[in-house]
This record gives sequence, C-alpha cells and structure tokens, in this order.
Amino acid sequence: MARSYLFIPGNVPRMLQNMDVYEADVIIIDWEDAIAPGEKDEARILSETFLKKHAPDVEIYIRINAEPSLYEADLAHIPLNHVKGVVYPKSDTASLSKLLKVLPDSLDIIALIETPGAFFDIKTIAAMERISALFLGAEDLCSELGATRDPSGDAILFARSTLIMAAKAYGKDAVDTPWADLDANNLQKDAARAKNLGFDAKSAIHPNQVPLINRLFSPGAEQIKDAKRIIAMHERKGTMRFSLDGKMVDKPIIQRAYKLLEKARRYGLDGGDSVD
Amino acid sequence: MKTVSVGTLESSDCLVTIKPHESLEIEIDTVVHDAFYEHISDLVRKTLKEHGITKAYVIVQDKGALDYAIKARLTTAIKRMRDDNG
Repeated sequence: MARSYLFIPGNVPRMLQNMDVYEADVIIIDWEDAIAPGEKDEARILSETFLKKHAPDVEIYIRINAEPSLYEADLAHIPLNHVKGVVYPKSDTASLSKLLKVLPDSLDIIALIETPGAFFDIKTIAAMERISALFLGAEDLCSELGATRDPSGDAILFARSTLIMAAKAYGKDAVDTPWADLDANNLQKDAARAKNLGFDAKSAIHPNQVPLINRLFSPGAEQIKDAKRIIAMHERKGTMRFSLDGKMVDKPIIQRAYKLLEKARRYGLDGGDSVD
Repeated sequence: MKTVSVGTLESSDCLVTIKPHESLEIEIDTVVHDAFYEHISDLVRKTLKEHGITKAYVIVQDKGALDYAIKARLTTAIKRMRDDNG
C-alpha cells in the first residue's frame, strides 16, 4: 500500500532525526551496505536509542545484515514497539527459513530479491506467510549478471516482471529497486516504467527522490474518479459483471477499483465520497 | 588498555573518546557551551553510572548532538572499551 521507501543510514544522527520530514511512506534504516563492518555496533546502538527516545511518526523497517552472526546482533537491538519489520538482503528460501527461526513474532519481512538464484525460489519466497513484500535489488543483481542498467530498464525487465508476478500471485506488495543517480529525468523514466509494469511502490536512496516517486505512485484524479464510478455501480447493481460507458466491468476490475481507492484514501487523495 | 573513539564531528553528532584513568574526568567541548554544558555533563555522568564506570577519562566533542546521540555514542565507546579489555 505504500508508495515510497527511503533508505537512510543507521549511523547518521541528522538523517535519523529528520526521517519523518522526508515524506516517504516507509523509512528503511540501513544497517547493511551503508554501514562499514567496523561500525555496525555504532549504527545499531544509535538507531535503537533514537527510536526508543523519539518514536517518529512514520512506518519503519530495518535492513539487517544477511549473515546470521551479524543479524542475530541486529535483532537484539531492534526496538520492537517502533519497527514494523526487517528488510532481508540476498533472500532465498534457505536463508529466510533460517531467519524465521529467530525473528521476533511481531516483525514481518520484506524479501530483497537481488541474486539470480532467488528468481528460481521466488514463488516459495512469495508464499511465505511472514513475507509482506518482494523488493527488487537491481544493483547487486546486475553486478552478478554482468548487466548494465539504463533508464529504459531493459536489463532488468525479466527480473521486474517475474518479481511482480510472484508478488501479485500471493497478495504481496512489489517494491521496485532504487534509481542510483540523482538525475530527475532518469528517475522519472525508470519509475514510470516500474509503475506501468505493476509495481506498487519504489524505493529511494535520497530524500530528493521521494516527492517524484510519491506523485508517480499515487492514484491520479481520473483513476480515482473511474474507480468511484465502478464501485458505485457495483454496489448499486449488486453484481460482479456489468457494463459502464460501453465497457465490460468484471471482478478483477472491481477489485482493482477498491484497491486504488483504498490507496487514494490512505494518502488523502480521494476528495470525498462524490462520484461525479 | 586502549583509547576508544566513537561518532563523528559532523553536524548533529559528537565524537566521544574514552580511555582508562585513575579517576573520573570529563572534558566537554561543545558548540552550545553556555546553554548546555551542565546538561551534557549530567548526561555523560548518568550514562557512565548506568554502565558502572567510576574511573575513566571521557572527552565529548559535541557538534549539536541531541541527548540520544551523545548517550548512544558513549554507550558504544564503553562497550568497545570493555570488549577490547576482554
């Protein structure tokens, strides 16, 4: 249901303190790649102390480390009252099964899909109960594939489509990879491609990327209007199949209308109950 | 016995250094000296007490860090000093 996920390093007080003004729907505090091996303890203790003291009003996940010896230490420092779940790097069935044995019950998992092997496991991963979303990590994936990303998205089209299929088949959110440079035109192209393919949200590595992502992944005024008309007609007729403006409307379209309107309402975009 | 430093000199952060000493001495260099010197000093003493530290030389170079950041940096430094000393 979120539109934007913003990574912030767990070891920078200035960014932790500002997390709820960046306007991202979800903040991911990074204890993995953004933190040098010798600074993991600093990041864990700083983030934990901050969250316990200041309890920011935003949905928070923590990107933990992939190796069990590191993530066990990570888990010991997660303040459970303030964190919704973990983002788990290099996800595959075996490593997730191991993580699930030690993960506190209140935390869900966003599976970071960033290795070629994970795409052969992706159905099993998406089916796991505590997985709330599949998240494409294209930079690591392209490194392993020897592929080169550009704003056309050609290099990751198969990965994107496969991830979306798996996520949607099991009712999970599909979150797109960040765009790594700060050129707004390239971000626009990359994010629009992801949105059109079916991603629910996109991640960001800089706060400046968030407004564009939020705008692009929000339902548009025309979409909201159409969704309201479909729902109004469905509720009036009490059937799952009818004609509207000469087009057939059936169950998937009605379900999509409800989902779109729910997202619009969550972000204050629905403009009230009028269907005109 | 090793000297340990944790944190940075970036805005909103602090660099905390702790080293073994025969008594408790605290040195604070802060950009908000007039308004917050006593407050930071109390926070450092309280955090040291929570960790059972009665003897150490502690230097806090503060660049406008909030309480949680000073406490977290000092806590990490204490843990590292203890880990280094076995």
